[in-house]
Amino acid sequence: MKKLEKGFTIFLFLLPALLLFIGILIAPIAVSVYRSLYDWDGFSKATFIGLENYKELFTSGSIKFTVSLKNALILAFFSVFVQLPFALFLALLLGRKVKAERSFLSIFFMPVLISTVVIGQLWLKIYNPDYGLLNRFLDLVHLGNLKHVWVGEVETALGSIIVPTIWQYVGYHMLLMYAGVKGVSLDLREAAMLDGATKWQVDRYVVIPIIKPIIRVSVIFAVTGSLKAYDLVRILTEGGPFKTTEVPSTLLEEMLFLRNRYGMGSTISVMLIILCFAFALAITAAFKDREA
Amino acid sequence: MKMKRVVSMLLAGAMVLSLVACGSTPAPATDTAPAADTAAPADDAAPADDAAPADDAAPADDTASAGEPVTLTMWCIATESDSNRHAYEEAIKEMAANHPEITLDWEAFENQSYKTKIKAAVQADEMPDIFFTWSCAFLGDFVAANKVYCLDDALAKYSSELPEVMLGNTTYDGKHYGVPTTMNIVGLFANMDLLKQVGYDEIPGTYDEFIKCCDALKGAGIIPFGCAGKETWCVTEYLESVIEKSVGADALNDIFLGRETWNNADVGAAVDTFQGLVNNGYFDPSGAGLTNDEVKANFMAGKYAFYMNGTWNCADFAADEAFFPKVKVAEFPVINADKAKLGQLIGGPSDTLAVAASSPNAAVAADYACELGKLICHYGYLDGCGLPAWTPYGDTSAVNGLTQAVSEICAKADSYVLFGDTAMNADDANTYLSYVDQVYGCQVNGTQFIEGLANDIR
Repeated sequence: MKKLEKGFTIFLFLLPALLLFIGILIAPIAVSVYRSLYDWDGFSKATFIGLENYKELFTSGSIKFTVSLKNALILAFFSVFVQLPFALFLALLLGRKVKAERSFLSIFFMPVLISTVVIGQLWLKIYNPDYGLLNRFLDLVHLGNLKHVWVGEVETALGSIIVPTIWQYVGYHMLLMYAGVKGVSLDLREAAMLDGATKWQVDRYVVIPIIKPIIRVSVIFAVTGSLKAYDLVRILTEGGPFKTTEVPSTLLEEMLFLRNRYGMGSTISVMLIILCFAFALAITAAFKDREA
Repeated sequence: MKMKRVVSMLLAGAMVLSLVACGSTPAPATDTAPAADTAAPADDAAPADDAAPADDAAPADDTASAGEPVTLTMWCIATESDSNRHAYEEAIKEMAANHPEITLDWEAFENQSYKTKIKAAVQADEMPDIFFTWSCAFLGDFVAANKVYCLDDALAKYSSELPEVMLGNTTYDGKHYGVPTTMNIVGLFANMDLLKQVGYDEIPGTYDEFIKCCDALKGAGIIPFGCAGKETWCVTEYLESVIEKSVGADALNDIFLGRETWNNADVGAAVDTFQGLVNNGYFDPSGAGLTNDEVKANFMAGKYAFYMNGTWNCADFAADEAFFPKVKVAEFPVINADKAKLGQLIGGPSDTLAVAASSPNAAVAADYACELGKLICHYGYLDGCGLPAWTPYGDTSAVNGLTQAVSEICAKADSYVLFGDTAMNADDANTYLSYVDQVYGCQVNGTQFIEGLANDIR
């Protein structure tokens, strides 16, 4: 009886969190899966069409989901192999008790705090082909032949999005890793240095292995964040030029609010959920193998 | 231990409270970012056949009777930088004086954001009493879902002031659902100072002369066309004009309204003609990365010779004392005289006010919307940011010369073609725009354009 009472009390205390979890996470996913099986314009009666939306997602000439996925994966690639190593480098550097450590931390973290809309507008002005800082600088250093319509040319548009994305979130990942670096015992560092290791060798062979769980989390955040990228793309290029910088989230917005295709929008959101989940599992497995 | 239990109970209680925190929120403050004027499609033909009209949706409860104070809410896109802002303000001021018992709470939103906002509001049944909308298929979707109040009764008293042809785009199955506030067409604006530099005192009247003029401009280092590639509707201003002047208004209308297939070889050839203009370097290469506001500013700064866009721009051009004397407007020249002719225009009445079927004061809102629409049209015409959809009244001698020139073009017109992206339903329109985008980027040619649209438009 006492056991039942205890169990009931535990359930009662867990119930609010469980309801929140179901209401905010599980229920919307379930509704999205349900809606993805329908053709619905958001106003009238929905028509059941089964997996037609999924079929159309990969075959339609105007939806270009595969292009958007490719762009998101390119973003993820640069996030993982450019942004994270740079963030790790900064975290390791700042973890060595350098002068003005706290000031540097704040400076590097500041872009994370600034609204993405503001950052997007700032970079739009930098990229402006007529009066933008970038083209003007290239003229100044006699490299005018390298000038481009940065957000308007197919060759440069995606890169124009990747640069501010990396710039904005490098501080975030740096801070995560910095917390881990700071948690490494000084004794281990000193012991390694007594054995003749240089500072970079200490970082490589002592610190990095210890903070691997944090690096794993950063990789998951970077990849899933790239798959869900929306705001900078929306502001800088709106998916253009010619839909070449479309990402799944901008496509989702177009389906829902411009094309009144709530069923297709739900399909894209289900695909995003599956992809984020799959990548999170894959990254966790990859890190587990390395640790083993 | 006792303290621990008390704290646990308090935390659990806080979590439970958080579950009931999500109530309905009032409409947020407006976002007044600069608005890009939308293309206004219109035509005097009936809107798409599949827009099933709603039966008169009786409002939940029409609470106002004559003279009782009523508060109405309205959403529109007349933000601070919109050329229609002044017309809205003057109209609302006059309405407040004429109807002191009615208080209007109105909000303006940026153009593109508004499309998202109004659709979300329609879906959630949280619409304002009166709302701005684009005619034809955009409003048609809402009408088909029984979300819009029928205005037949309210409009009946204005039959002598509002020609029936102006209601064509907001009539669904014989019933009226919108009040037009203005009328616009696509005009070919030209900076005559730049044209004079290459020996042209007038805008070329034939297509061959027009191309020769563009070549001369290019030779003189002047960019012929300004077009905001970042906003695809700006590209349609050029493309639809080229198609219409190649295949004729009727053929294009039939395609837009779904009566004919997109797989039309003449349309494919017209698209190739347009791409020829792109490949000849007549368009600003930086235009792909610019917004319409930036392109318009460049045109007014003398960077481009031509700017093909809606005639709502007349007000902004007229307001610039330095630029106004340099600008003229004309109709795009005919490309294929066998199938097209002058007097067939892209445009018509599109900007519309509608009333929510769910409004508790729908009948009052309907009367208010009709009178307000008439006043917005009146003041908009005086400001020069639109042509009168309603019969003009009062002293209109102050209307700027550019708008008067547009009126003269319209006076000679015998047919209008809707803008494609408003004539078609939302899904088809965006499929169309995605192909227009690809045409502008030379990623598909004319044949791929027509075949792709024929295949993808549902």
